[in-house]
Amino acid sequence: MNKRQVVLESISALLIMLFLYASISKFLDFQRFIGEMNNQPLPNSWTPFLVWTVPSLEIAISVALIFERTRMAGFIASLALMTLFTVYAAAILLHFFEYVPCSCGGVIRKLTWPQHLVFNLFFVALSVMGIILQRRSSFKSIIITKNSFV
Amino acid sequence: MKKIKLSIMTLAIALSIGGAFATSPRVTQDCQGATQYHYNGTGYVLAGRIGIDYLCATSPNVCTYYKVGSTYVPCMNGIYCTSNCKTITTTPKTKN
Repeated sequence: MNKRQVVLESISALLIMLFLYASISKFLDFQRFIGEMNNQPLPNSWTPFLVWTVPSLEIAISVALIFERTRMAGFIASLALMTLFTVYAAAILLHFFEYVPCSCGGVIRKLTWPQHLVFNLFFVALSVMGIILQRRSSFKSIIITKNSFV
Repeated sequence: MKKIKLSIMTLAIALSIGGAFATSPRVTQDCQGATQYHYNGTGYVLAGRIGIDYLCATSPNVCTYYKVGSTYVPCMNGIYCTSNCKTITTTPKTKN
């Protein structure tokens, strides 16, 4: 296992931990999650859709990150979801919505909105790193396979 | 090589599942699971359902309380608001 692979496995593990922890926490106290979602400055009509889609997506991303074959898709989905969360946190901080909700509904409830933003940016950066390293290792394995046929 | 990979993944999954259960409101006795009250200036009244009957907009103030015996203890931070959240939390932009 070379250095790049260890980094790649560690990035995957960190993202799996984030998404799996977040989704299980939501399902463990689903009523509270519905309340937190309703407290967000988004239309309440979105809540029934979001409360099922967000944790389900998080579980799907975690599963995709476990297996080598689906890892790239996992990294891309992780980047998309974390970018969405980051944009939302930034929009709240920029007073884009009618009001600033309490930051009690995030992954880590004690974090303030600026801390949420930094936290999300860190995982966006990890996802980008994961995509780059995964692409390089896939490219390398293709070259090795091609050379072995020559 | 596969053993290391398997160990990292198993550890990540175990930590996240264990962490989620360990920090769940049932274990930590989190106040948000209890009935929420709001102090209206004269007394404590039932707050209702968050996001539907009221909102907690960001603020270091106390938004809701919960009852421990006969005492009301602060639970959620924020400004308690029903329909006037916008006027409470946003400050008018001024031109320089």
